[in-house]
Amino acid sequence: MNNEKLLAGLDAGHINTKAVIMKGRDILGYATVPTACDAMSAARSALNDVLKSAGISGGELDGVVATGIFRDALAGPVLNVVASVPEYVADAKGAFFLNNKSRTVIDIGGNVHKAMSYDEKGNLLDVIQNDKCADGLGIFYTGIAKLLGISEDELSQLALKSTKRVSVAIQCALAAESEAIDLMCQGVDAADVADAITRYIVERVAAMSTYLPLTEEIVAAGGLARSQAVVNHLQRLIKHEVSVVSLPEYVGAIGAVVSHGGGK
Amino acid sequence: MAYNITTWGDVKNYQTNCYRNYLFAPGGLRCMGSTWSPLAPLKGLGDDIHVIGGEPHSASAAGTVPAECREDIIAAETGGLGFHSCSYLKLFVGEVIRDKIAITDKTIKDGYPRPDVIWTTHLCSQHSKWYQEVSRRLGGVPMYAIDMIGGGNAEKDPKIVNYVSDQIEAGIEWLQRVTGREFSDELFVKAVRNEIKVLVLWGNICALNMHSPAPLDERRLIALFPPAVVDRTTDESVRIYEKLLKEVKHMVENGESVAPDQRFRIVYFGIAHTYGHPEMARILRDVGAEIVASVYTFGTCGNFKGIVNGKWTWEPIDPAWVDELDLSTRRKAITELSKIVLGWPTWQGVRSYWALEEMAKAMVTEYKADGLLLAPSRSCETDFRNGYIAMQRIFKNQIPTIEYDTDQVDVRKMDLPGAQRKTELFVHLMEAHKKGGA
Amino acid sequence: MEKKGRDAIIERFRHIAENTPEYVRSLKEKGRLSAGYMCTHVPEEILYAAGIVPLRILTSHESQAMTRGYIHETYCSFSHDCAYQGLKGDYDHLDLIVTSSSCIHMGEAFNVWVRFAGFQDKSYLMQYPHIIHTKPAGGFMAESFKQFKEFVEKLTKRSVTDNDLEEAIKVYNHNRRLLKRLWEFLRHDRPPITGPEVAAVTLASQVMDKKECNGMLEQLIERLEAEPGQAAPGVRLMVTGGACDDLGLFDLMEHLRYDTSIIFIDSCTAARYFWFEVPEGRHDKLEALAEGYIGKIPCPAKDTVPGTGEKKRFRFVQQFIEDFKPDGVIFLYQRFCSPQPMDVVALKPIVDKLGIPSTELELDTTVPKAQFQTQLEALVEIIKGVTP
Repeated sequence: MNNEKLLAGLDAGHINTKAVIMKGRDILGYATVPTACDAMSAARSALNDVLKSAGISGGELDGVVATGIFRDALAGPVLNVVASVPEYVADAKGAFFLNNKSRTVIDIGGNVHKAMSYDEKGNLLDVIQNDKCADGLGIFYTGIAKLLGISEDELSQLALKSTKRVSVAIQCALAAESEAIDLMCQGVDAADVADAITRYIVERVAAMSTYLPLTEEIVAAGGLARSQAVVNHLQRLIKHEVSVVSLPEYVGAIGAVVSHGGGK
Repeated sequence: MAYNITTWGDVKNYQTNCYRNYLFAPGGLRCMGSTWSPLAPLKGLGDDIHVIGGEPHSASAAGTVPAECREDIIAAETGGLGFHSCSYLKLFVGEVIRDKIAITDKTIKDGYPRPDVIWTTHLCSQHSKWYQEVSRRLGGVPMYAIDMIGGGNAEKDPKIVNYVSDQIEAGIEWLQRVTGREFSDELFVKAVRNEIKVLVLWGNICALNMHSPAPLDERRLIALFPPAVVDRTTDESVRIYEKLLKEVKHMVENGESVAPDQRFRIVYFGIAHTYGHPEMARILRDVGAEIVASVYTFGTCGNFKGIVNGKWTWEPIDPAWVDELDLSTRRKAITELSKIVLGWPTWQGVRSYWALEEMAKAMVTEYKADGLLLAPSRSCETDFRNGYIAMQRIFKNQIPTIEYDTDQVDVRKMDLPGAQRKTELFVHLMEAHKKGGA
Repeated sequence: MEKKGRDAIIERFRHIAENTPEYVRSLKEKGRLSAGYMCTHVPEEILYAAGIVPLRILTSHESQAMTRGYIHETYCSFSHDCAYQGLKGDYDHLDLIVTSSSCIHMGEAFNVWVRFAGFQDKSYLMQYPHIIHTKPAGGFMAESFKQFKEFVEKLTKRSVTDNDLEEAIKVYNHNRRLLKRLWEFLRHDRPPITGPEVAAVTLASQVMDKKECNGMLEQLIERLEAEPGQAAPGVRLMVTGGACDDLGLFDLMEHLRYDTSIIFIDSCTAARYFWFEVPEGRHDKLEALAEGYIGKIPCPAKDTVPGTGEKKRFRFVQQFIEDFKPDGVIFLYQRFCSPQPMDVVALKPIVDKLGIPSTELELDTTVPKAQFQTQLEALVEIIKGVTP
């Protein structure tokens, strides 16, 4: 008898709601929808999209497991949420599922960033989360990309072309953005400014991460983990190698499923 | 079943009366300042001395009349004080600017009662400016600031004790000159003994929380320590704490507590936790997590044995010791007074990173903590002094530790969603730790 | 040729001020001992008397957020930057780090060095009055200095004699007089040196071996005295406030759309550092040091006169205004500094009453040059009565 569960994981984040469908260890589909101002609507849309992408109907699911900052808003029969998992637990499980040699995950999300250490079974050992002033790194990064009229991928590529180190204000993202505009209007190369912005973000994350023992292997997750420029700076600052899990934005959603007995 | 403290009424009445006296008493001498300075010298000027301390007043007003306090803070900011200045300071200065004051029985008085003298100290670089600004805005009020110096083991350093004592001695001369009143050593010595007694009694009460279950929680501790911070020099304040100590001892003997469901014991670093955080307190309470020890609540206006054979202990001092103190001359009384205030854990920790670290380690051990909660107030230099941030590094591998930014008064500076997330995370870590995980 | 010599000297000073770790290494190569200090209330003479070169830890002007894991966000960037340099290892060559108990933010930077940057066994926290004007402050300081002297003797394994101390006091006083002479040039109608140049020299003096510094200062002053000088252009600006070692900012103040001259800087990285002397020839050298350091222009964090609550620093500021006759005042302070902005709240009305327009600049590791330029030009326009 096939005991593999067919589960959906929903990660209701500040900026995006992510959904995955897993049957056993197979990831059948994934989808992302902007959360905007309605977590429930976003979750519904994400679920619909992922079901389509996996080619299955909602009735076939054994259940939906929710995580993320707005997971409580998803509770109830509407989405058939059978369990709710704190995001740091889900992140640890998800990262471990994607890389079972990893013992630390650094998740850089839209609003919150955090680092988790876990044991050889993916059970959470410790967590550190950002402080108030460091909120919104992902939002900030997206904003800078928009300002420059490029995509986030292109922003990462641009930062990698930097040849000169410049500084932007470190106190808050608004000041950093303001200075970035100042510098570019004064003729500073956009690549150097892109690198300064990237460093601004990564230093926040790295400073927080150093509270943990940083047991290897260390993996990066969250949307910003897709930026090679971010990962390069992160490795340099925490003085450890960092690899990026596949589907870094879906670590939470995957981990939610695994936390509820999925992923086997 | 949760125990109800019977001494609570006495405490509340005392606090209210102190403030009402400052506002409404006909005549007498009005003294304003920091209650981190020794208060007994003021009482040598007579038996009609009405005191208002900036820190306790701001703290209690913030909890009682938040709408007024918001207006006060905005008035101070409009008057030039920065957003990131201490909220207590801004509240207090804002009252002066608005010429309006609100107190713990929700009385709001138009017309700020001008003090006759300001008697204060330099707690931090920001606090040093507090009463200068108040004095300036009131058109100049005679002001005497005592440099308490502080630091680890300060009360055992003769150089520091003499320095503080010399200032108090000169301060007494100044008080006479400025008020035109003759200083009574008899009244002064009585006030000194009372002040020391209250500080020792409060330490004894706090030390009882080493028991399981801890008889008191942070919410009750904060509610019960006002007499010690507002005016600890009176016979009545001694009587209240003697009564309270007896009551809490009785609770311990019977295994009673104000919060009997204590699954997790928390040590807390930060100013009064419950003022700004009813939601956080609820999250903790729901899982039986109680703050049983706090450096601020215990160590401001409370004394313990401190550093003994090179290690810090929160063991209490025998109150009988106070009765035997030789206060037979003014200088002897001043010296003992200097020592006891220098002995406050907070005065030691605020100027010495190693003392704060030692007392933190001792608190975690002696109060059998399951978790360490660091919730410093943004822009409170005292809170952040000596590494509340660095404290995480020291403790994170030993015990579930969490830190979040907050503010005890100004909601704008609180990160409520972030604090909530971190409090939930904290509970999770403590649960896992208990099961042998995190 | 003379001008080239004078420029070369100023350039050398500026290079030292902006590359302190390099200077520390050069001292090490010469076999000299060096001690970093984080507050100008440290009695440098005691270190110097023991053969140690004291040098102030200044900022590197490099934006970074790594120290947010050690010191809170709401501490000034000066303290964050100084802490970072310790963590980076920029000053590993130092034999000692010292601070006196003063402003809390710099105290935290010191704690980071001690706890996390490997300076646990080569550090000294000096007990120092937090209210400099109390009657017993001098006695307390003298005792504190005695304990510090004993520590330094143990560190260097040599005794520090009264002669050593007297010699150090003389060297330092000479430095103070030379610096004062330099600043006095700015009072002239035709100063041979600019405010930013004087600021660079003063900053460098805080990180140099004073004998070497004195030699360079003597040469510079000799050349300047021989120069005819140039008319100080335009509007005369005085700066008052907290620590600022961003020489680029002073350059900006003299490169606006209008002609301006910086004629005085009242900060601990400028005039407040040296505007006092230690009595010479006294029997008790440590008491003499205490008396001298009490006579410094007070730091706002220590400035409350017991009895009146007066800020004594304001008397100095008013005297400087009278002597140097600025047309405008610029209040400078680090973002999140506590005592400086509180002083500005009280000082601004005084400056207003003297009829002098003013503006405030809030400093950070990097400063928004364009915005500052707009703000400064607006100040100049108010002073000149310029209307669109």
